Amino acid sequence: MDMSMVYMAAAVIIGLGALATGIGFGILGGKLLEATARQPEMANQLQVKTFIMAGLLDAVPMIGVGIAMYLIFVVAG
Amino acid sequence: MKLQQHRITRPPIAQWFAVDLLVLIILSLVWVLDGRLAGYSAFLGGLIVVVPNAYFAHQVYRYEGARHVRLMVGNLFRAESTKIALTAASFAAVFTLMEPVHVPALLFTFAVMVVTGSAVRWLIRPQPRR
Repeated sequence: MDMSMVYMAAAVIIGLGALATGIGFGILGGKLLEATARQPEMANQLQVKTFIMAGLLDAVPMIGVGIAMYLIFVVAG
Repeated sequence: MKLQQHRITRPPIAQWFAVDLLVLIILSLVWVLDGRLAGYSAFLGGLIVVVPNAYFAHQVYRYEGARHVRLMVGNLFRAESTKIALTAASFAAVFTLMEPVHVPALLFTFAVMVVTGSAVRWLIRPQPRR
C-alpha cells in the first residue's frame, strides 16, 4: 500500500477537525463575550453552558485525532 | 433598597469525572473478558480521554464571573488546543512506547468515552445555588 496516501488521509482528518473546532470555538467564545456584555449577571450560567457545549463540540474531532494517530503509528508505522 | 440575589451556577465537575471513571472501569472489566492485554488497552484508551478532559475543566474554571470573561475565553481556546495536543501525544506515546497494544479495545473505549463524556455533561445538568 502506498503509505503517502495514509499520511495524507491522517493530515486531512486532523486538519479538517482542527478547522471545524476552531470555527466552532470562535463562534462559541464570541457569543459568550457578547452575551456576558449584555447580561453580566448571567456570566456564571453562560460559562457553564459554554463548557457543556465545548464538550459536545470537540467530541467528533477528538475521535478523528484518535483515528489519525492509528493511521500514522499503526497502519503506516 | 433590596439587593438582588444572583444565582450562582457551578458545574458538577467532580460528579462528571466520577461517572467517567466508573464507565471507564466497567468498560475495562468487560474487555478483560477478552484478555488482560485488551483490558489494559481499554483502560489506556479511556485515560487518554479523561486526563485531557480534567486538564480542560481545570483551565476553563480558573477564572469565573463577568469581570474575568475575557481571560476565561482566552483560557478556553488555549485549553482546547492543549487538550487536542495532549490527546495526540498520548496516542503517539501509547502506540510507540507500549507494545503490544490491543488496538480495537483502545480505539473502541476511546470513542465510547468521548461520547459518554459529552452525554454525561449534557444529562447531569448543574443545579443553580443561592
